[in-house]
Amino acid sequence: MYLRGVSFTYAGGALPALRGVDLVVRRGEMVVVMGASRAGKSTLVKVLNRTIPSFQPGSLQGEIWLLGQRCEQETVADFAGRIGLVAQDFEAQLFSTSVECEVAFALEQFGVSPPEMRQRVHAALRSVGLEGFEERDPATLSGGEKQRLAIAAMLALEPELLVLDEPTTDLDPLGKEEVLAVLAGLRREGRTLVVVEHETIAAEMADRVVFLAEGRVLADMPAQAALRSPEWFRCCAVRPPDLAVLAHGLGWAEPVRSVEQAAARVRERLMPVQKDDRAAGQQQGEASGHDVLLVAEKLSLRYEAHAPPALANVSLTIRTGEFLALLGHNGSGKTTLAKCLNGLLRPSDGEVRWKGVPILSIPLAERAVAVGYVFQNPDHQIFADRVWDEVAFGPRNLGLSEQAVAERVRQALGAVGLLERCDDDPFWLTKGERQRLAVASLLALEPQVLILDEPTTGLDYNEQRQTMELICRLHRQGMTVIMITHTAWLVAEYAERVVLLHRGELLFDGPTHELFARDDLMNAARFRVPDIVRLGQRCGVRVRSVEELVRMVGRRSEDR
Amino acid sequence: MKLSIYVVANTPLHRLHPVVKVVGIFCFFVAAFTAGSPIQSLPLAAVVGALLWLGGALANVWRFRWFLALVFFMTFLVWSLFFHSEAPWFAWGPVRLGYDGVRFALATACRLTTFFAVGLLFLSTTRVEEFADALGMIGVPAKLGFVMTLAFRLVPAFVDAALSVVQAQRCRGFDFDRGNWLERVRHYLPVIVPVFIGALRRADLMAMALEARGFQLPGPRTSYRTYAWGWGDAIALVGSVMLAGTWLLWARFAGGN
Repeated sequence: MYLRGVSFTYAGGALPALRGVDLVVRRGEMVVVMGASRAGKSTLVKVLNRTIPSFQPGSLQGEIWLLGQRCEQETVADFAGRIGLVAQDFEAQLFSTSVECEVAFALEQFGVSPPEMRQRVHAALRSVGLEGFEERDPATLSGGEKQRLAIAAMLALEPELLVLDEPTTDLDPLGKEEVLAVLAGLRREGRTLVVVEHETIAAEMADRVVFLAEGRVLADMPAQAALRSPEWFRCCAVRPPDLAVLAHGLGWAEPVRSVEQAAARVRERLMPVQKDDRAAGQQQGEASGHDVLLVAEKLSLRYEAHAPPALANVSLTIRTGEFLALLGHNGSGKTTLAKCLNGLLRPSDGEVRWKGVPILSIPLAERAVAVGYVFQNPDHQIFADRVWDEVAFGPRNLGLSEQAVAERVRQALGAVGLLERCDDDPFWLTKGERQRLAVASLLALEPQVLILDEPTTGLDYNEQRQTMELICRLHRQGMTVIMITHTAWLVAEYAERVVLLHRGELLFDGPTHELFARDDLMNAARFRVPDIVRLGQRCGVRVRSVEELVRMVGRRSEDR
Repeated sequence: MKLSIYVVANTPLHRLHPVVKVVGIFCFFVAAFTAGSPIQSLPLAAVVGALLWLGGALANVWRFRWFLALVFFMTFLVWSLFFHSEAPWFAWGPVRLGYDGVRFALATACRLTTFFAVGLLFLSTTRVEEFADALGMIGVPAKLGFVMTLAFRLVPAFVDAALSVVQAQRCRGFDFDRGNWLERVRHYLPVIVPVFIGALRRADLMAMALEARGFQLPGPRTSYRTYAWGWGDAIALVGSVMLAGTWLLWARFAGGN
């Protein structure tokens, strides 16, 4: 595959999405493409399977060679079966009622004979680890399983080139692990892979990493070299590997390969550690003495009579000013618990009380002011044709005067940095902006507790930081925050207290650092402790971020 | 939450040839519509009930019990009140409640409920793919067959999205149950817009996914699922046709209403 000077501007778009992209992918190579939102990653992917220009009108320039063939008028169908594309949104790619029908669909279109079809369906399911799932309805699979199914549907065609567009973005840690294991397996089979990813872990198994920014190739380098240079990741709004940032921050010339190696070096610099410094890095989530806001008492909930419970005997107390993270993999009951906390769901057993009053007895409008809930998918709530009206919807439901509504909308939009966009149509905002709009529309209700369901999913690193800074600012102003997340570094850096759910049961409720020290629980949740936190544990210090450790080491050096 | 209607099982009904299922269901629809009185509807309802049991689909009847009850009672209520009875027991404006009205209302309610139960039987025992295959076998082009069955594939996803949107808007203090019925209908705008836009986004992605899997290829298609005709199919086919014939004749000679 070979691109030279490829540029593309969407019809009606002011700026080109790709500008003079040069890219070569050789047979058997794995190339990871990284970049910020709107860097042109998805556009590049669409060029690679001819969705551009077959589907998306616009102006395409440059030389494109796919599978040794110069492309002029070729459509997606001309490369169907030879170039496979797996998109980020796995839901929209699945439309069959059983796993095997899903994988067979493409083979049916190609007129493959039934005996061969059976063989290829089984081979594809085997390589993504979905054997035994043949009869299952795809709708009942977990996110990771769905994404692996989407990959299998492509693999059955035995494509020469497989392109994956952010295949792990919407997944929990377990799902990510599963998909990455599949990628590693495909890599061993010697397949040619182009993978768009935000996770540096994908880069670790690649041959090369290509950094895109504003439609241009910023750098194209061997993966090992890329992993040692955090600045490239930062340029492309990808969270750089902790150890690379640390090596950079502490001015180490030699690369570090493992947490143990880094720990040995850091220990030398930190010695001797004084007792009182051990806990310096992390403030405790000691919330005692604050007012109790929400009490969940022995909550149980079953969606269907014979299904296992979504929540089983969960009790929880939330006080003013807490910053709490709800962890657990898909189906562990996080969202169910959160929805019980604001009265969206009625538990089968147990009760939620808001300041002592059963939450379900509180009128809807008052409940919205008590506990706000930002849904994971902002598109599930945005309906107005102006940003302003979207945010005004909530306060208007409360029956406030137009003047009061305007005041609240202005404040909320100001808080999320969207005030200048108040007349825009939300449809045209980026995912990150829509996420912030969703937060603003809840902020305008001025709730005392804000529940955020995976507020950073689908955002690039810079957008994730912006979103978290916004949430932190609200927290400092006194808002109580409950955040559902799968992202380990967010928990490490921001949450004071963690609640871990597993199959509907509460496994842990306590300070973040205590959970991170419990390997058994972390494994149960398939949650990978950030490298920097593990390094801190090895060195006997509590740190939340690389910057904190670098500061700590710097201070110690000065002391000496 | 389970949203699709298909019951994964291997009952004699599940094993029927899809063409037999499509023809059979058509015959049942004909019978349900020709049944002009409760006397004619009830035996049919009993047959459908037995088949629902045989197909392991009674759980679906329970799932949709409110819907079926609503169809039955609303139809009954509206027709009993507004049927122009010859000798009303009670008349007030357009409302004329009488014996023939109640009888007709009962027949229509039975007919409609049986009709929906037949649909439920079909969807509980037939995969969408089988439905598409059957359409292909009776001469419908493959692409058209896929599009015709697309609604059944997507409805569960849209219902799921709609439930989520309703919750999201409730969180913003939006009370769907406020106001009179016209206002309530209007209240669903904040639900319809996100669901609709989501559907458009999804359609766009799905078109690309279909394309990448060779949906546009002109050549002949094969089917992963192989179907063999058996004695059961012959019996089911003859039985369904005879059932439709019996009810047609019954309605013709015994008179409906």
